[in-house]
Amino acid sequence: MAKNRDILVIGAGLAGIEASLLSAQAGRKVYLIEQASYFGGAAIKSEEVCPNMECATCMLAPKQSDILENKNIELMTLSKVTNISGESGNFTVKIIKRARYVSLVDCIGCGACFEPCPVSMDNEFEENMSKQKAIYLACAGALPNVPAIDMEYCLRGKKQEECTACKEACMFDAIIYDDKDEEIEIRVGAIITATGFKLNDSKQFKQYGYGEFENVFNAFEFERLRASNGPTSGIIQSRDGKEPKSIGLIHCVGRDNRGYCSQVCCMYLTKFAHYALDILPGVKVYQFYKELSIPEKGNQKFYHEVKEKGVKSIRAKEIEIIKNGNGAGLKINYQNEKAEKESVDVDMVVLAPYVEPFPGTDELGKLLGIELGNFGFFKTAEFDSVSTIRPGIFVAGCAQGPKFMQHVTTQAQAAAARALNITED
Amino acid sequence: MVKIGLYLCECGPNIAEAINLDKIAEQIKKDNKVAGIEQHKLLCSEDGKKFLVESIKKNEFERIVIAACSPKQHETTFMEVMSSSDLNPYMFQLVNIREQCAWMTPDKEAATSKALRSIRAAINRVRHHDALQQKEIDCNPDVIVVGGGITGIEAALRTAQKNRKVYLIEEQKLGGRLREYGLLFPTMQPAQEFLNKKITEVKNTGQIRVFENSKVKEILGFFGNFVATIENKDREEIEVNAGSVILAIGANPFIPTGLAKYGYGTFDDVYTAAEFEKMTSSNNITTKSGNPPKSVAIIHCVGRKRLGYCSKVCCTNSMKIARYIKEKLNGVKVIQFYKNLCLPDKKYDEFYKKTKEKGIEFLRFSDIEVTKEANQMMLKYKQENDNEDALPVDMVVLSTGLIPNPKTEDFAQMLNIPVDEYGFFKEEHMKLGPISTITEGVFIAGCAQGPHSINDSMVQAGAAAGKILSSLVPGRRLQLETKTSYVSETMCIGCGVCVDICAYGALTIDESKRISVVNEVLCRGCGNCASACPSGAARHRHFTTKQITQEMIEILK
Repeated sequence: MAKNRDILVIGAGLAGIEASLLSAQAGRKVYLIEQASYFGGAAIKSEEVCPNMECATCMLAPKQSDILENKNIELMTLSKVTNISGESGNFTVKIIKRARYVSLVDCIGCGACFEPCPVSMDNEFEENMSKQKAIYLACAGALPNVPAIDMEYCLRGKKQEECTACKEACMFDAIIYDDKDEEIEIRVGAIITATGFKLNDSKQFKQYGYGEFENVFNAFEFERLRASNGPTSGIIQSRDGKEPKSIGLIHCVGRDNRGYCSQVCCMYLTKFAHYALDILPGVKVYQFYKELSIPEKGNQKFYHEVKEKGVKSIRAKEIEIIKNGNGAGLKINYQNEKAEKESVDVDMVVLAPYVEPFPGTDELGKLLGIELGNFGFFKTAEFDSVSTIRPGIFVAGCAQGPKFMQHVTTQAQAAAARALNITED
Repeated sequence: MVKIGLYLCECGPNIAEAINLDKIAEQIKKDNKVAGIEQHKLLCSEDGKKFLVESIKKNEFERIVIAACSPKQHETTFMEVMSSSDLNPYMFQLVNIREQCAWMTPDKEAATSKALRSIRAAINRVRHHDALQQKEIDCNPDVIVVGGGITGIEAALRTAQKNRKVYLIEEQKLGGRLREYGLLFPTMQPAQEFLNKKITEVKNTGQIRVFENSKVKEILGFFGNFVATIENKDREEIEVNAGSVILAIGANPFIPTGLAKYGYGTFDDVYTAAEFEKMTSSNNITTKSGNPPKSVAIIHCVGRKRLGYCSKVCCTNSMKIARYIKEKLNGVKVIQFYKNLCLPDKKYDEFYKKTKEKGIEFLRFSDIEVTKEANQMMLKYKQENDNEDALPVDMVVLSTGLIPNPKTEDFAQMLNIPVDEYGFFKEEHMKLGPISTITEGVFIAGCAQGPHSINDSMVQAGAAAGKILSSLVPGRRLQLETKTSYVSETMCIGCGVCVDICAYGALTIDESKRISVVNEVLCRGCGNCASACPSGAARHRHFTTKQITQEMIEILK
């Protein structure tokens, strides 16, 4: 049987985008599927990336345009794999494409439909720090620039009300209330899974007070606070809207329990210190770390530059965050290098929780027939971190383990090489 | 007179409500510079595109101006419409009256006058557009891999295919620095077994031609068409052709001779980790006095401050060495002196834990000095809590970082790629192009780009393969950038300003004519040369002085 030369890429973050672009450039048909209504993954949540402090969305945007314009790439948002059969060179994959209720062809992305929608719901992309309508775009600049309707919340959904506010507002007849989920079947020769990561919800580590104290933020929440297209338009503020005078950055949240270093946290916390010192005049920044891990050329220089701007670095053990008096302020108790108990009062705390596989990685692993490793990431061969145990199925990016963006890119490129090679005649 | 057609897009209410399009049409008509004006509700829709094609053909327009949205949104869409209308896609100018006028300027009159100005500018500009043609050249899919270490081997294995040959060139024997290794972390598997398997694979892959004990004398050419001169083991010169080059020349261990406090070169039993690694492969660990050491200290981060970066692999490598010593020498005491443990992989915390369980001690220091009292080596150290102490040891292993291969600079010059501030090859973009360089078709992989573990080096090799497999497909011609620069032979004075300013190495001086020439394969159309040229000889095909001036005249009127 002749090999199928088409390639399926699961997950349209940095890794999936890169793997798709290379495969398509080689002349292959690529199916790029993404579970969210937008694509770009975790990378587009950042305002800037360190150490060169480049605008993250500007960095990704040209690649995203290339995806949207490439005739060899079929991007399917709101989609999931439901079944896989066959073998390397000839896989049959079933995909469910959830209804978007807005036409990707007719909508021009003017946003006229948002205002009249009567529903207000939490915006997940913004870490629930702002509200969105039931017809929504994840954030300003999200691509494709076409909203989706969340039928869980839309009045027409569970409540079965006859609301037509968005349809009336749309000048382009792009709203499709009777849009249906669609199951499609495709045939491909190779599969690259690039489903990414999430940050652990650090509520289980009670000592840090996340979920209990409103001014304890996790890393993505802080990132969205600084994002110019985020809920505060880039202003770093406490939950009550006040400018923090002091910020505590906590490294390695949950690392000891989890059993690995997430690699990127030391650097992004350094970036957070840079954010704060850059826009909050006179702010005091403390970082509490156990081991400083700043690999990759360029990172050490950045770390020292930021530290010299006035970050107080404290090697600390037994960190505990408590309420400071009756206000919204916080107190960080810890043990210093000399085993002495100390404490610092701060207005805001930012946690760096460990990186874990994206939810659903285990189910997808079962569908793909590939093993997961100890920590639930896709298992890869020793000294071949893009190959799974199943021929024809490759892994790229943080679905394989936590890593810096540059290593996400190289893995995606290496996975593409494998996929192209095995589907060659 | 050339027939220019102007199309105004309403973009539903987006433009129509914010800008008075009728007034614009009226004014443009009065200017009498276009052959026809049409308005449409939504030009990017299927209906709109069909309308455009039919209208362009019917009116026999030769050049088109469309006033609509941002070029980022629909420039490609409309360029395709141009082709469908049998016009050259470059005989077209898109005016952004949505994002830059309708959505920016709330006052309708102001927005209208701004849009009008921009449209007049585009009409003036498009008159001077040239029909640009897509060019193609033949290219060679074969690959030159410089460096036969594990990265080069992996790069060769990943690129070799039925229709793609690989030339793998190594100065010594295949295997590189890995040939000196005993074990690999974190698996603790024998390094030589692993390496030999890979070398056998290279030999069994018919498409890889290996040159051992050979040197790369020169590489000329450009993306798709490189020629390398190789001096082989018999000192004969051989020429090979390829479309791309992977530089995998590795790195060297830092030698801490200049750092007196570590006693390297002063005391007998102070080794670098790399030297110690060689000792392990001979399976004989003894001090200079001939006895096995009773205590070994491994000092981390030696030279890190001077190098200016963390070398990423040394912490784990030190643990590997410690475990080796502990296994080989009964009752030996092994102490790791470290500052911060860098364990950036999901498997490394476990490796560290196992290392500790084997009885290896870890001691955090802030300062350290290797001294000798009577005949005993002493480590004097200070901890972070300012406690000072001393420890007698028989042997010291200095865990030093990785520094660039001294040949890095030569290859950088040969292939016109920059080196970074540390002396490694500089990547095109840290995050998005970590193995690409500014010279198209030249890739960097492994420790030549910066310190990397064996695993990461091999991924980089695979990544370089990915870039090559996708861009140089056997049997396919290379499509070149259309909007490039060119140099007017009559006006060029050969001053070379453009050669220096070009970031892609696309400009060279033709010595016989003493003028500068553009290599269209390498030119990416940035226009730097055109703006820097003092005599006006370097020009950009789609941003000519005439086009820009004519556009500006209307904008500034």
